[in-house]
Amino acid sequence: MREGEIARLGGALAVDILIAEDEPSILESLDFILRRAGWSIESVTDGEAVLERVRRELPRILVLDVMLPKRSGFDVLKQLRADAPTRHLPVLILTAKGQQQDRRIAEELGADGFVTKPYSNAEVVGAVRQLLGEDDRSS
Amino acid sequence: MRAPIGFRISNRRKSLKISQAALARLVGISPSYLNLIENNKRDVGGALLQRVALHLNIDIDDLTGQAEQKLLQDLEEAYADPMIESLPFQPDERRQMVAQYPASALAITRLHRAYTDAVASADAFADRLRSDPLLSQLLHQVLSGVTAVRSSAEILEDVPDLEDGERQRFLAAIGRETRNLGAVARNLIGHFENASASRRSVSAAREIDDLLIERTNYFPSLEAAGEALRMDVEKYGRFGLQGLTEALERQFNVTVTIGGPPPAGPPDFPGQYRYFPELGTMWLQGATTLATRQFQLARLYGELAAGATIEAELDEAALASPAALRLAQRALGSYLAGAMIFPYSPFLEQAEAGAYDIDQLRQTYYASYEQVAHRLVSLRRPGEEGVPFGFLRSDPAGRLTKHFPLPGLLLPYSGHACPLWVIYGAFRTPDMPVRQVVRFSDGSRYLFVARTVQRRAAAFHEPPVMASVMLACNVLHADKTVYAQGLDLADNEADVEVGPTCRLCTRTNCASRQEEPMAPAPGGENLRATLVGDGFALGADG
Repeated sequence: MREGEIARLGGALAVDILIAEDEPSILESLDFILRRAGWSIESVTDGEAVLERVRRELPRILVLDVMLPKRSGFDVLKQLRADAPTRHLPVLILTAKGQQQDRRIAEELGADGFVTKPYSNAEVVGAVRQLLGEDDRSS
Repeated sequence: MRAPIGFRISNRRKSLKISQAALARLVGISPSYLNLIENNKRDVGGALLQRVALHLNIDIDDLTGQAEQKLLQDLEEAYADPMIESLPFQPDERRQMVAQYPASALAITRLHRAYTDAVASADAFADRLRSDPLLSQLLHQVLSGVTAVRSSAEILEDVPDLEDGERQRFLAAIGRETRNLGAVARNLIGHFENASASRRSVSAAREIDDLLIERTNYFPSLEAAGEALRMDVEKYGRFGLQGLTEALERQFNVTVTIGGPPPAGPPDFPGQYRYFPELGTMWLQGATTLATRQFQLARLYGELAAGATIEAELDEAALASPAALRLAQRALGSYLAGAMIFPYSPFLEQAEAGAYDIDQLRQTYYASYEQVAHRLVSLRRPGEEGVPFGFLRSDPAGRLTKHFPLPGLLLPYSGHACPLWVIYGAFRTPDMPVRQVVRFSDGSRYLFVARTVQRRAAAFHEPPVMASVMLACNVLHADKTVYAQGLDLADNEADVEVGPTCRLCTRTNCASRQEEPMAPAPGGENLRATLVGDGFALGADG
């Protein structure tokens, strides 16, 4: 039994992964593959909701799309890094534009990992696992 | 440098096998006087030159060499292109080419023009791909769609124990996303079709230039129409805002609205004025100046009342592209408005009397600085000419946005002029006219007068739209203008030594130089060289 589940069983609300993604089909498949890999998942679909949710219940990791409505992923990331409680929250960025510039900006803002769309499901699972420090665990 | 006009007359006469005595009789002068003219010992101009041209059945520009001069300038520009500038041309090659093989020279300039247009549109496409918001949005949609399809397909393939409901969900997602992708693809294709349709604007601007140069920016039919229309307007009251408003209302049922949002279309329409034919309304932004209002109303009135005259001019011009046609229509509409607001003879008379003081002329005609400057350029009526001016307008980035040529003065078509020109200096002292006497490397000298003009802002958040306009006039005529007062034009010690643009300029020792000249002097290739050893020259062949 993993940490997240223990925490939940213990009554705490900590969730493993918060996904911020506004494309319904992508969100649906992400939710499925990450859940299937054994983690607990919650999701939001716009930039403002990310900040609100993260502040309420700190997830173990945030999977953050760059192109979000209301507040961009960059904006969210910058805000998270400015607030003490979320300064060290591991953030995995999904870049869609496939552009080096996006990646550079996210790096400067303190992103921890990147997955570029279109990705394979295994890439996402691998990247999340690495950020959660569960590298050596076989699924 | 005086054009050898006498030799041209002589050559042409001989090729037509007319004797000197016969031509002299035809044009009404003595054979000995014609002999002096043909040997370039007497000047010829005005009505006599027109008669000579008429009887020799040749265009006056061909006789005076203006056509040749223009061709030479175009050729200089082509030869200055970095692609070919380092070829070992003979010093006098271009001049000889124009003299001996004018058709080939013309062919080169046309090809060069087509080539620069092609390069410009390639640049435009590259910029478009890099920064086009619609394109990047479409690409984002493609990538998102592909991501969703790929991820869902992998789930269907890799997960053996999918429940039926889950299988259905991911199949539905794939179907939905692929349909979306189809629509996005169609959108993308349409986008590129639109892009290719709108890319002609570069050469359209040049077509207009050619038209204006050909007519020396003087259109007799529009002058006549302008005069007649002004009288029509005056039937409804004094010419001006009121007369025009009244005339538009009564003759064309057009209501003029000033201020408030435009009556239709987006409320944040960026223009200062707009005509709504279906509503019969001419809307002007509240922030527009009196000069703008008067000018735009005159333009509308002119286009409504003398559309046929403008059309006839356009037909004659035979412009190639629809974009050029639209721009020309606009330019001629503005010309007509200018002819209405500033009637030729009284305007010229007053300009002469006031030594071409633009600010003084503005008061009489309630006009803007740019409108008056623009009108001064068109005072080219044969037999009733004013001081010849060239006109240039630049945006704050230095890009030339409008130009009317002055024979002999090489004004760049587009891009940048010489950084030393006062057209740029004027930005440092907004609203204040500044002047300078310049000397080009061939020794020709001009008086330049420039001033910034600005569109009145309508809101705090609106960035000011500023431009600089410049009039250029040969120093030989400059003493007729107020702008030369207090200057010793005979003294060239204080001349600012300029060029047309760096590429076309031969001054190797200029501190403002940014690009290598087309024909660098020996040992002159030291722009941005290394401090030690042999440097490399910008634009030189590797």
